[in-house]
Amino acid sequence: MIQIRGLEFDSPEGRLLMEGLDLDVRRGATLLVSGASGSGKSRLLKVMAGTERPRRGEVRIAGHLVWPGDGALSLAGRVRMGFAFAAGGLLSNLSLEDNVALPLRFLGLPPAEVARRAGAALERLGLQPVAKLRPHAVSGSARKHANLARVLALEPELVLLDEPLEGLDAADRALTQELIQAWAGDPACTLVVASEEAQALPGLEADHLQLAPAPVPLECPRPSKSRTPAWGSSSSWPWRSSWACWWRRTPAP
Amino acid sequence: MVFLARLGAPVRGFLEFLGDQAHLVLRTLRHGFSLRSGQWAVVGAQTKLQIRFTGLDAALLVGGTALLLGAVTLIQAFSQLSGLGAENYIGTLMVLIILRELGPLLTAVLVIGRSSTAIAAELGAMQLNGEVDALAAHGVNPYQYLLLPRWLGALLSIFALVVFFDGAALAGGFLVARLKYGISWGFFLESVRQALSNLDFAATLLKVVLFAGAITFHACHFGLRIRRSQTEIPQAVTRTVVSALVAVFIIDGLVAALFYF
Repeated sequence: MIQIRGLEFDSPEGRLLMEGLDLDVRRGATLLVSGASGSGKSRLLKVMAGTERPRRGEVRIAGHLVWPGDGALSLAGRVRMGFAFAAGGLLSNLSLEDNVALPLRFLGLPPAEVARRAGAALERLGLQPVAKLRPHAVSGSARKHANLARVLALEPELVLLDEPLEGLDAADRALTQELIQAWAGDPACTLVVASEEAQALPGLEADHLQLAPAPVPLECPRPSKSRTPAWGSSSSWPWRSSWACWWRRTPAP
Repeated sequence: MVFLARLGAPVRGFLEFLGDQAHLVLRTLRHGFSLRSGQWAVVGAQTKLQIRFTGLDAALLVGGTALLLGAVTLIQAFSQLSGLGAENYIGTLMVLIILRELGPLLTAVLVIGRSSTAIAAELGAMQLNGEVDALAAHGVNPYQYLLLPRWLGALLSIFALVVFFDGAALAGGFLVARLKYGISWGFFLESVRQALSNLDFAATLLKVVLFAGAITFHACHFGLRIRRSQTEIPQAVTRTVVSALVAVFIIDGLVAALFYF
C-alpha cells in the first residue's frame, strides 16, 4: 500500500529530520510510528498523505506516485484516504456534520447516502448532540473525535492518525482505542498511527518505526524564503543540517 | 557584482511571482475542467457564497459611490463648460469618464478593498489551521473547492457590479443634468447611446475578465503562501491590496492602449 524510497525531509524551520528512509507497508497492515516530540512523526504522516513536499525521495500509495508529483492531488478519486490531524484540520466555517459530509459529497455520493454515513460516524463517536455546531464551539476532544468521524465516514483504504489519544480523557480514549483496533483488524484498511509513546496503544499488533529524537539546533536555522503549499509550485529549502536521523523496525511492545 | 545582485533579486522575485500566478491560473482551469457532475453541486454552493460576499454585500456601497460620482462628474463639467454648450456633451462626458474608465476601475478598487483582502486573510487562516491540507488529504481538491468558486464568484460579481455602477452613475448624472438644464430622460439616454460604441462594450468585458482574474489570484497567491504564523496574515493582506491595485491599473492602461490608442 505504501512504498517509500530514499525519503528525506525537513522540519518547518528547515532542519533535516529524516534521511534515506525506505519503507514498505503492505495492504491491511498497521504501522506504529513513535518518537519524541519534534522527531518528525507528524511530518512523515503529512509527507505520506501528500500534503508536505519532501526534500528528496519517492513515495507511492497503492502504486500511485505521490512524490515527486502532485502530492495528495494525485490520489484524489483513486485512493480513499483518511487523515485525523493532531490539531486543527476541520473547516472552521462548516458545522461538524458538514465537515464529515464534505469529502463524501465531493466523492459524488447521493445525498441520502452522505447523510446516512455522516450520521452513523457522528453517532459512533458520540457527536450527535453537537453535530450542528462549528469546531470553535465544541471541546478539544469533540474536535479530535470529529476528525476521526470524518475518516470513519469515508470508509478509507488508508488511515493516517496523528496523536489520536493526545488530550483525551479515559472515556474518550477508550472510544478512540476501540476504533483504532477496528481499523487495525480490517484486512482492507491500512493503518498508520503516530504516537509519542508506543505503550499508549496496548495490544495493537503493528510494525514499529521508532524515530530518533531531534537534537537541539546549535544555531538558529535560516527559514526558507518562500513556502508554497505542497500542491503549489516547488518550495525551496536552502538550509541543511549535517546530522542524520536513524530509524529501525522492531516488533510492537 | 553587488549592484547586479541587487538588481537581479527583485527581477527574479517578480518573475517567480508571475510564474506562480500562471501556475495557479492553469491549475485552476485544468482541475475546473475535470470536475465531475456530482462535484458541481459543492462548487456551485461555494460560488453562490462568494457572489453573496463579493457582489450582493457590496452592491449598496458600489451603487452609492457611483451615484455620487456620476453627479459630481457632471457638476464639475458644467462648472467649467457652462458657456460652451455643455448640455450637448453630456453623453460624451458620461461615456468617456464613467463607462469607459471609472466604472470598471473603481469597481475593481472597491472589490480589492472588500473582497481580495477577505480572501487572502481567509485562505491564510485556513492554511495555518491545516484546513487546506485536510481538504487535499480527504480527496477534496483545493483548486476545485477553494480557488475555482472564488474566481467564478468574483468574475460574476464584478461583472454585475460594473453594470450596476454604470447604471447608478448614469442616474446620478441624469439627476444633475435634469436639475441644471431640465434635460429629459429620453434626450439624456439618446446622448449617451450616441457616444457609446461596440468597442466600449468589448473593452469593458475584457477588463471585467482580467480584473476578476488578477484580484482573485493575487489574493489566493498571498493567502496560500502563509505557512508559519498569524503575523503573516496582515502582511499577506497588505501585499494583496498593493499588488492587486498595481495589476489592475496596469491592465486598465494596457486595455485602454489596445482599444483606444
